[in-house]
Amino acid sequence: MDKRLVKWVLSVCVLVAILLAVSTLSLLLGPSGVSPGAIVRAILEGKESAAHAILFDIRLPRILLGFAIGGSLSLAGVILQSMFRNPLVEPYTLGISGGAALGVSITTILRLAGPLGIYALPVSGFVGAFCVILFLRVMAANRSVLTIQALLLTGVMISFISSSAVLLIMSISGVEELHDILFWIIGSLGETDWFLVKPALLVSVSGLIFAYFFCFDLNALGLGEEDALHLGVNVERTKRILFILASVLAGLSVSLAGAIGFVGLVVPHFVRMFTGGDHRILLVSAFLSGATFLIFCDCVAKTIIQPVELPVGVVTGLLGGVLFIYTMTRKGSATGGKGA
Amino acid sequence: MTKYRCFLLWPIVALLSVSFVRAMAAGADAADQSPHRIVSFGPTITEKLYLLGVQDELVGVTTYCERPPEARAKEKIGNVTQVNIEKVVQLKPDLVLATPLTGPRTVERLKHLGIRVIVFKDPNSFTEMNEQFLELGRIVDREKRANEIVGVSEQKVERIMNRVKGLPRPKVFVQIGARPLFTATRHSFLNDFIEFAGGTNIAAGAKTGFYSREEVLWQDPDIIIVVTMGLAAENEKMGWRRFKTINAVKNNRIFTMDSYKTCSPTPRTFVEALEGMVKVLHSGI
Amino acid sequence: MLELRSVSCRYGDHLALKEINVRIEDRELVGVIGPNGSGKTTLIRAVTKIMKPVHGKVLLEEQPIDALSFKELARRVAVVGRLGDFDLKIRVEDLVLLGRLPHRQGFALLEKRTDLDIAREAMRLTDILELKDRMVEGLSSGERQLVFIARALAQEPRLLLLDEPTSHLDITHQIRVMDLIKELNREKELTVLVVLHDLNLASQYCDRLLLLDKGVLRKDGAPKDVLTYQIIEEVYKTVVLVRENPVSARPYIFPVSKEDRRRT
Repeated sequence: MDKRLVKWVLSVCVLVAILLAVSTLSLLLGPSGVSPGAIVRAILEGKESAAHAILFDIRLPRILLGFAIGGSLSLAGVILQSMFRNPLVEPYTLGISGGAALGVSITTILRLAGPLGIYALPVSGFVGAFCVILFLRVMAANRSVLTIQALLLTGVMISFISSSAVLLIMSISGVEELHDILFWIIGSLGETDWFLVKPALLVSVSGLIFAYFFCFDLNALGLGEEDALHLGVNVERTKRILFILASVLAGLSVSLAGAIGFVGLVVPHFVRMFTGGDHRILLVSAFLSGATFLIFCDCVAKTIIQPVELPVGVVTGLLGGVLFIYTMTRKGSATGGKGA
Repeated sequence: MTKYRCFLLWPIVALLSVSFVRAMAAGADAADQSPHRIVSFGPTITEKLYLLGVQDELVGVTTYCERPPEARAKEKIGNVTQVNIEKVVQLKPDLVLATPLTGPRTVERLKHLGIRVIVFKDPNSFTEMNEQFLELGRIVDREKRANEIVGVSEQKVERIMNRVKGLPRPKVFVQIGARPLFTATRHSFLNDFIEFAGGTNIAAGAKTGFYSREEVLWQDPDIIIVVTMGLAAENEKMGWRRFKTINAVKNNRIFTMDSYKTCSPTPRTFVEALEGMVKVLHSGI
Repeated sequence: MLELRSVSCRYGDHLALKEINVRIEDRELVGVIGPNGSGKTTLIRAVTKIMKPVHGKVLLEEQPIDALSFKELARRVAVVGRLGDFDLKIRVEDLVLLGRLPHRQGFALLEKRTDLDIAREAMRLTDILELKDRMVEGLSSGERQLVFIARALAQEPRLLLLDEPTSHLDITHQIRVMDLIKELNREKELTVLVVLHDLNLASQYCDRLLLLDKGVLRKDGAPKDVLTYQIIEEVYKTVVLVRENPVSARPYIFPVSKEDRRRT
């Protein structure tokens, strides 16, 4: 067993190292005339320089937000995929991003922003997402068993309904509102605020820790619900709790950064290929990998055609799509797989 | 044989004479510079027409034509991007003044229907705007008035420029779009406003209007001006205040400005906006 | 050990078990037989709290099971269910270790030494120790079945339930599994309740048989009392010939094909 523990610790160390490397890269690069050298000097120098401000008020919060959201989305993806034993489930399949988009659209067109100012959109996004979560929860509470199909179908329906509603709102809105809604939906890590970054970090990391209390339950669920019950897992209670956890993580992510897709779908698959299905290593690996992936994509998004910033959702979609195809072909040809 | 040849000749002659007459008519049209039924497809054009004093010949405007207020009473033919062609035809105009937003298909259709359409590109500088204004004056047969207005405008602008000549030139960042951040480069009115008012536009040399916040931080402007519509401007101001190393934030010199006057001026409103800009840049004068 | 008192279970409108009354003592090896749809799997589900009876009570060691949590139940009862679909990318040893879940105390990320030892012992008993590092998906059905039995053993149960453990197996593995069950019952003093579709295996290995027919407990007794040709014909609606197994003296059922029926 020691051999496995060593392997796990090593994997985590490697992942953390990659995360730090990518973060450093993202700290040094950016869409402005500031050279990496100037950034380094700014760190060593005083507080008042522009480079320092760029670093700490623009780039660092962005990276931390990427860490929180990338981690949250991957974690939610792992949890949902394991719970439902369905590889196509991702945090947004359940309609949560649809609800958030609808919340944002309604707020924009009715100009409810008012006193909340720049926090209006994240708050309205979260309210929208939360309504969906509540609805799903109530729906599930009416049956004694949370069936996968019922939940997925409901989620898909909610997605359809919300996107239709959003399109309706977009068609009757003026150019500026249209722009605001669209930009939000596409997803971006920019234009963030320390005020928002702190709760994001808090929620995502505590979400990870909380998930660890259920890692054995998740392992058992991999055998099937009936078998998990036979092993003493309180399957219904576990599913409900984990579902809420995944929803909160997804809702928070989507309200802060819009609909950044693929992270919750592709990263869990990819990580599973290397770590296997044991959640003790899978949860933290997925979290770190998702964080790294998003920070990397964001770095690409902000530098590749500077000064124009690509929406990060575009980069995650493209890179994620390529990765996904790669994992699919890899799975097809493999006869065994790597063990933990 | 000869009889047949004469027969053939007739249709050809008829055709030729008809086209000749048509050409003459067109020429006469061109020569006849005084339109009596004008339709405007753009609010700035409407404003300029009022300025030139041809409002009595103006028979159709868009729903967005609100300046001057009298324009609201005119017959509406649609909005800036979507025009009701039937309505236009009903008004029997002899001149339609369109904008780049009108849509080429609409313009083509109107031309096919025999209506004279002139598309005015959006001017991007003081001189361009004046040239266009003079051109407009020629088209509506108010050349003298146009010359007067432009002349007064140029004089006033020159006077303002002299006033600010010796003053220190503040670095200015002007924001005209949010998400993504968008600014005005050299080829824009805003650039002219800033330069004429005695400031320097930090984005003058930029290749596109897309600008990153990082770059603004790096350039450290003395003044930030937010030119957007309505409430969003307040949010943007709040957003800038987070970056305490920018000079403009330190000295609390973040201002908002009306986008209409600054982005679609007439020779008259240009001067008004320029005055406003001078106040902003050199608060004290 | 286990008692069912007037237990009835329902799926929607269909009553799958009707007033089942059964008492199973410690260290018995009981087989549950019956045609398809007679309620055998439902019986297992009722005993493991997967299904709640609409009527009646299930008692485990004199305690009603609805008072027990799933975890409590899992410490005393282990189930080797039907091979469903699940994620096979797991090492044999890890799957067997999952059997230790019900006994976890507190929160530790890694398995204790004792857990590992118990798992190893379970694998030794099922004779799959050399497979411990292989992936389950690479094993044959027979080997997989043994892995699941090992997992059940790792739970250290007092009652072992098996639902058709020999269904997909070749004769080698069928005998191997049944021999193992017998050995566990005799040597490890495990009470076993096994659902079997193969009447002859049931006859050969079980001391007592419960014959279910359309949700009703049709006959409860020793194989020679339950497996008579009249009862089998009545319940299974097929003609058979019953003779004694020359080695064990247990009843052996010979199916009679249509062709042979015409000839005799």
